[in-house]
Amino acid sequence: MNPIITAFAKGIKKSGIKPSRISVPSDIPFEPEIVNQLGIDFFHTIRGRAIAFGTGLKLGNPDLIVVPFIGDLMTIGGNHFVHSGRRNMDLLVICVNNFLYREINGKSAPIQKHENEQITTQKFSPYSTFEKPFNATHLANSCGAVYTARWTALHTDELADSIAEALNKRGFSMIEVLSPGPNYYTGIKKIESDLLKFYYENSVIKNGESPRNVTINSDEKIVVGKFTEKEQLTFIEQYNLQLGKVLGSKFTPHGGRNG
Amino acid sequence: MKTNSKILTGTHNLSGNEACVEGAIAVGCRFLSGYPIQPAIKIMQRFLSRAYKVDATYVQMEDEISALAALIGAVWTGKKGITATSGPGLSLMMEHIGLGVMLETPCVIVDVQRVGPSIGIPDHPGQGDMMQARWGSHGDYEIIALSPSSPQEMFDFTIRAFNLSERYRTPVALMADEYVAHIKEKVIISPEKEIKIEPRRYYKGPKDKYLPFKRDKDFIPRMVDIGDGYKFHVTGLTHDDRGYPVMNEECQEYNVHPLIWKIRNYVDDIIDIKETKIDDAEIVIVSYGAPSRIAIKAMKEARKLGIKVGSLKLNTVWPFPEKRITELARKVKAFVVPEMNYGQIVLEVERCSYGNANVVFVSYAEKNVDNVDDLLSAIKQVIKEKEIKKEIIEYHT
Repeated sequence: MNPIITAFAKGIKKSGIKPSRISVPSDIPFEPEIVNQLGIDFFHTIRGRAIAFGTGLKLGNPDLIVVPFIGDLMTIGGNHFVHSGRRNMDLLVICVNNFLYREINGKSAPIQKHENEQITTQKFSPYSTFEKPFNATHLANSCGAVYTARWTALHTDELADSIAEALNKRGFSMIEVLSPGPNYYTGIKKIESDLLKFYYENSVIKNGESPRNVTINSDEKIVVGKFTEKEQLTFIEQYNLQLGKVLGSKFTPHGGRNG
Repeated sequence: MKTNSKILTGTHNLSGNEACVEGAIAVGCRFLSGYPIQPAIKIMQRFLSRAYKVDATYVQMEDEISALAALIGAVWTGKKGITATSGPGLSLMMEHIGLGVMLETPCVIVDVQRVGPSIGIPDHPGQGDMMQARWGSHGDYEIIALSPSSPQEMFDFTIRAFNLSERYRTPVALMADEYVAHIKEKVIISPEKEIKIEPRRYYKGPKDKYLPFKRDKDFIPRMVDIGDGYKFHVTGLTHDDRGYPVMNEECQEYNVHPLIWKIRNYVDDIIDIKETKIDDAEIVIVSYGAPSRIAIKAMKEARKLGIKVGSLKLNTVWPFPEKRITELARKVKAFVVPEMNYGQIVLEVERCSYGNANVVFVSYAEKNVDNVDDLLSAIKQVIKEKEIKKEIIEYHT
């Protein structure tokens, strides 16, 4: 099974949350049988829009724990990401970064350094890249995320711990997972193992590092770890507070774990 | 009384936008996500001011794309939801209208039309989005669109839009225009028990046997609220009964064919047209939205002059009443179609008349829609036509 899904399953178990409360809107298809085994509700929606869809799920039923799994996070879904962070919408965004679609994090280091010609020249772009990569963690942090972390598909235990922690965290959380992209690499075993080896050799754990310093670039090691953890009022809490202030006893607050 | 505070039964002086919100609340809508745009902004304002009284949720999203995305999400949690926008916003919503159709999500999209293209004039009425509402999203689909012509109809049609969307599990567009949205008129809100509410078609059976797209005899799959442990899987990809993606021709037919035919098989139930003095008519004015307000006036004036004119008002524009227009085309001399655009629904009228009647187009795109003279002169002109011209006759002053 995909190591990220395994970590997600472990994380749900550790967090103690009933799987039926968890809904996953996503812009990447999941293996339906896996969804069934996890016992969650799953929506495969339009590329990049999973956060917006998840906002509706959360506001429709504040009792739900909404976990958008996103591939196209930083390009087509960029605006939704920024504004959900600003609102502190109670979502746990899992950004699966496999460097395949360059804008997700720029066409970043692991690919450029990769020696396999087949991938770098044919499957990505023949002229390599010249655009700067996005530091998604730093962006999330500056938008007001209450929890940010980054792990690779090798750090399954740490990832599971992070997911368990973030599931119980109220507010906008983001976990970035660097993954070799199983859909794309299926059947090319060598590449899969090469990339995992690459992660093993090139990542370094630095918990509490400032998100400003965790840009992925070609000359330095990839920094992984838990970067941010803070407390802040969520969207629904702010909504209840503000309307309660103005309307007084006429207002009935929204329920759920935020009310 | 608690129930009375939710439905404002009585006679009110409301604008179209306000009446729309009251209709939505009366039918049980408890969610609005939107992005402010003129001339639909009053719908959001009114909903916000009413939200706390009826325990509804309101959210202003970052754009219209996310507004409709959030709406579809909220509907799956068991709420009835609405979003309001104008032309530029409807353009942004198109991709999600396709998702709404594919996921068979009941929701209502209000489009208060203004003139375009592009930004156009935000406070000028138009009807330029009619074809976009029908064909705007990619791929093949059927949609239901209603067109109100007064604040009272904004109220009534909003209720009907929700009922149709629940009945047929599809997004429904309410194609209003700036004129209808801003004019203030008497609106009668009937008592709660007289308002017909179509209940959501819920699945009632064992949890592990639930198939989200298993169709009943009436073509409509049953819904559940998520979070209830149904292990729900749904996708915008072509899918089977279980909601699992299956990408081959058989499944495309299995999945998409009913999406089309669940509407086409029930057109007689969906289509709502209002005919006035059509039995002896030689000329029929086909109108919808604000121009239908002057259609009746033009009809009366023409009858004073001895011209037998009838009126056919489209309360639902999509699906189009093809059969009725074809039938009438064999009897009448001409159709006169006033629209606040450069010719959209007139194309449908021409298509359905199959060359059996003259079709005259009167554009109100640049003119005041209160002015009945243009319509009347077009009627006077077309009555003189001896033969049938097999093209749309455009009337110019």
